[in-house]
Amino acid sequence: MDIALTVNGTPRTGSPEARKTLADFLRDDLNLTGTHLGCEHGVCGACTVIVDGRAVRSCLMLAVQAAGSEVTTIEGLAPDGGLGTLQQAMWDSHSFQCGFCTPGMVVQATAFLSDHPDADEQQIREALSGNICRCTGYQSIIDGVLLAVERSASPDPAAPPNRER
Amino acid sequence: MVAIAAERYTGASIKRSEDPRILTGAGRYVDDIKLPGMLHAAFVRSPLAHARVVSVDVSAARALPGVVAVFTGAELEEITVPGPDALMALIGGDGPTPEFTLLATDKVRFAGDPVAIVIAESRYLAEDGCELVEVDYDDLPPVTNASFALDPSSPPLFANLGDNIALPHSRNESGDVAATFAEADRIFDFRIGVHRHQNVPMEGRGCVASYDADRDFMTVHAATQSVHVSKIAVAMRLGMEQDKVRVVAGDIGGSFGLKIGASREELAAAAASRALRRPVKWVEDRGENLTTSGQAREESFDVRAAVSNDGDLLGLDVKMVIDTGSYPSLGVTVPETVEAMLPGPYKLAALGFESTGVTTNKASYVAYRGPWASETFVRERILDLIAKDLGLDPLEIRLRNVAPRTDPPAVMITGRPLVGVTSRESLERIAQLVDFPAFRRRQAEARAQGRYLGIGMATFIEAAPGPREPGGPSGPLGTESMRLRLEEDGIVALFTGQMPHGQSHQTTLAQIAADEFGVPFEQVRVVVGDTNVVPFGLTGGSRSATMTGGVALHGARELKAKVLDFASHLMEASVRDLQITDGYVGVRGDPASAIGVGEVARRAASGEFGPDVDANLEVEAAFDGGEGGWSGGTHCAIVEVDVETGLVAVERYVVAEDCGALINPAVVDGQIRGGVAQGIGAVLLERTAYDEDGNCQSATFMDYLVPTACDIPRIEIEHLETVALDADVNFRGVGEGGMIVAPPTMVNAIEDALSPFGVRIYEQHLPPARILELIAGED
Amino acid sequence: MKLPLVDYEAPRTVPEAVELLAEHEDEASVLAGGQSLIPLLALRLAHPAVLIDINGIAELSGVSATNGTVTIGAMTREYVAEESGTVADAVPLLAAALPLIGHEAIRSRGTIGGSLAHADPAAELPAVARALDAEFVVRGPAGERVVPAAEWFEGYLTTSRGPDELLVEVRFPAAGRGTGSSFQEVARRHGDFAIVGLATSLTLSEGTISDARLAFAGMSDVPVRATGAEDLLVGERPSAGLFDEAARLATGDIDPPADLHGSADYRRKVAAALVRRGLRAAADNAGERQ
Repeated sequence: MDIALTVNGTPRTGSPEARKTLADFLRDDLNLTGTHLGCEHGVCGACTVIVDGRAVRSCLMLAVQAAGSEVTTIEGLAPDGGLGTLQQAMWDSHSFQCGFCTPGMVVQATAFLSDHPDADEQQIREALSGNICRCTGYQSIIDGVLLAVERSASPDPAAPPNRER
Repeated sequence: MVAIAAERYTGASIKRSEDPRILTGAGRYVDDIKLPGMLHAAFVRSPLAHARVVSVDVSAARALPGVVAVFTGAELEEITVPGPDALMALIGGDGPTPEFTLLATDKVRFAGDPVAIVIAESRYLAEDGCELVEVDYDDLPPVTNASFALDPSSPPLFANLGDNIALPHSRNESGDVAATFAEADRIFDFRIGVHRHQNVPMEGRGCVASYDADRDFMTVHAATQSVHVSKIAVAMRLGMEQDKVRVVAGDIGGSFGLKIGASREELAAAAASRALRRPVKWVEDRGENLTTSGQAREESFDVRAAVSNDGDLLGLDVKMVIDTGSYPSLGVTVPETVEAMLPGPYKLAALGFESTGVTTNKASYVAYRGPWASETFVRERILDLIAKDLGLDPLEIRLRNVAPRTDPPAVMITGRPLVGVTSRESLERIAQLVDFPAFRRRQAEARAQGRYLGIGMATFIEAAPGPREPGGPSGPLGTESMRLRLEEDGIVALFTGQMPHGQSHQTTLAQIAADEFGVPFEQVRVVVGDTNVVPFGLTGGSRSATMTGGVALHGARELKAKVLDFASHLMEASVRDLQITDGYVGVRGDPASAIGVGEVARRAASGEFGPDVDANLEVEAAFDGGEGGWSGGTHCAIVEVDVETGLVAVERYVVAEDCGALINPAVVDGQIRGGVAQGIGAVLLERTAYDEDGNCQSATFMDYLVPTACDIPRIEIEHLETVALDADVNFRGVGEGGMIVAPPTMVNAIEDALSPFGVRIYEQHLPPARILELIAGED
Repeated sequence: MKLPLVDYEAPRTVPEAVELLAEHEDEASVLAGGQSLIPLLALRLAHPAVLIDINGIAELSGVSATNGTVTIGAMTREYVAEESGTVADAVPLLAAALPLIGHEAIRSRGTIGGSLAHADPAAELPAVARALDAEFVVRGPAGERVVPAAEWFEGYLTTSRGPDELLVEVRFPAAGRGTGSSFQEVARRHGDFAIVGLATSLTLSEGTISDARLAFAGMSDVPVRATGAEDLLVGERPSAGLFDEAARLATGDIDPPADLHGSADYRRKVAAALVRRGLRAAADNAGERQ
């Protein structure tokens, strides 16, 4: 089926089989391999992308269902060649180790923070409880998100610019 | 005593070099690799745990458009070199060698055993092809538990073994076991079991194997803990010369011991690639990872403890049975390490230890983060049980039994010296960080209100890499190598066989080398993941902090000496007067003399100095671990158990740990927290479940539950002041410790919470339903 | 874990969808949110010949309230229902249950109708629907039919929707004055399916219980009402003793399933605890709706 959609701000087209998931379409057809497959049954969150403003599990959508939609993947979050506020805060907080859960985690946190910019630790933990990390025990990830909350509240003029979702 | 270079980076939580790509989706994992002409593999897998394979009909699959080839187990045997399981061949073991084929041929031995490989234009089509393969099985009675496997009447998995004994029974004694037991005031008997659970990295196993027919050369893009070990496995199975195989690895999504060598499926993909002369990708899905990649920890222990009335743990006599699953591999080597580590940091005077390993119709036993961890579980659990019986408190019994730090050091009854061990200090520090009397008051008040809080602790040591032994290098893999070179662009390149999969080596090793050599952190590049380029190495066993940190330090020192020697000719100055700071070689006190190290390298490469001057600015360094050392500490948890639902919340988790000097504190703490999380997961959530027919019931993430951000509390970590053993290298590993000691910490806390109900716990997995059974007094 | 080959249709209207269902019947699966169906396909546990994707049927979304009934279109996303002021005001039991469904990303796509048509007995919405005697409106070739919740859930993952019928909307009665609600759940982790869940609704009138609804998730192959306990409660004043008795009655002769996450006995014990907790909470917030 021919489809047209916007991915990370750019119009893209493709002809995926109906059964092909959005996750596989992004990875295989559009070469956006930042979105990862951790379980392919909607539990681990590694495949999280933003579709029409909402975080979704791209392994639980068919590519054809994204026709006409605006999709943002991990590759589309940062300003060109740079890091957004959240990514910078996560770097500063040593949030990650192997990096496999990272794209889903960053996308989910981005979506959550844009609706809840003043979230506290408990809220952040609940919001990220659908993203599984096996390396970190989560504390460093939560710290990264909390740091992003703090920096967004009182932005340092010297810090890199925040990227709006 | 050699002067230690000024430390600007070592000991600081320098931001990771890995992160810019990780945070932006630019990491490159095996499944991200696309090669021209690449095909995709999927496996036909047995639905039965134990059966004879009567026939395999692949004709319909071969006829499916998009399917390029199908190979049965028998066909793969013809195009590969027969032999044992790759890891078993490499590590050996004391047991008999079971017959082994790459894929199942005449028999399947666990549900998920691969029977055929289907190669197609896409993974979708490969899976379609798998559904069309018809296999005729003749059911055999499954062997799904150790006691049946031990029974000589159980049908043997391997005809050439004749029974289900993977590791024949053996017994060792250290110290005078009989006398110790004869003289003891009290003898305790316990039966303790650890349940089956598993690694579950977020990225499964996989590879892209690419055979170049023109050059008869195999390149494997792998996810592995050692590119060299993988290469040996591939070359061996394919019957290729070592110099005709190259293994490369990029980013790896975790492993925890799973990805060592090459799995049967990866080797089958490589064989297929050679046969088809096209790249073949195989990446396991989560179902395969949970049911076929391998599992760990299913072990049982009959423990007799000889104890004095005052609580001295005098001796232990232990019988261990380990379930090594269907294709025994690393599992058969675990009992000897369990035996060696059982005494821990305590004054145990005698240990009797016997073990047997069995084969069962379940996935194979693989290394999982601290494979010997059951020794700490058993020991720390029985200390609490004994303490309760004698009316001692858990801190008291441990302080009583911990070996004092003496010179010469106390020696474990199983042979290793407890050099530099600070267990006593860790116990005392926990007692300072956690106000036990205040907790006991709060616990009593809570009980009066029908709330059940509990506190538990456990103490451990891990050989990370372990102390220097007389006559040999420390660490299980011996000497660590590294090649270091000053490049013409001024980069100090470190070529290491380490294969980071979350350990942050590209950052930590650069910190050490930058400090030692004298360049900015950004001017060091750590090169990993290519057998063409890096020396032998393996990331595992919690050894890299010492072994690789040490070889980086000494190697950088050697390289610096070489560079200064060359520079002395270049700059016509005495070596004594030269220094390297911030990437510049200069005469001390004469800033105008400074030349960038890149310029020095370019001048060396130009050959202008003739054969009498060593202008080869490269060293091959080796490090045997120096004085090595132990890591260890004490963990303490406060939990609350909801006695109506069995749910357990971890209110507080505190770590007092000694891992020597820290290269990068944030990295160290991350490793500890990740290990603790897996330990909490093992106790509260994770269990690999098989039914009595050998069907794996924990085949998706809906049934194999790993902890989430709502399950793991903030983990407070204090690093203890350590005993420096070596003049230069006092970094010690922490990779496995958290996972080793967190389970007994948690179980001890839960038992404490449930003590009003008289609960005694002899197992490690405590899901809500089990908690209610224990409260009700059910066995 | 790739989906098997399947044909795909994306009707734009309900009549088109019904026509497709009539053509394919049991060979078709309706694709709504996909949060339950797509995993089944990925695991190759289901092999429908055709997927009928109803995401493009705009008329199926929406929340409206008229005359004491709140009507929710089958394709209404769970997050939309969660954010709906109408649902919060008029169907507080539904509002209490929605945040417990999986995680936000699941609720971004999952739908009210999809969850209720899938009818997983461990899911939250079937218990809510059963507690409130919701009505299920289906449309087939013969026209429209309204099925009460008591007749909707037939068995494990089985509803009385005919193979040629489409669930188009679900109607919930608006909660009256003096009604308090609670959704209690024991799950292994935050966001997981309930091992046992309980939808509770109590209406108090001058301090006496005039209406009581208790519906369990995870205690049978369908959501099940604890009618014995409900009958006990009506006419009584809330008290701890009363709630204990209700808990005993509710779990006395129920036969819950056993699985990896809990034995039958475990579920019974937890169910009793949830009845006590649910009734306490519902009685407390009944006071707030005077």
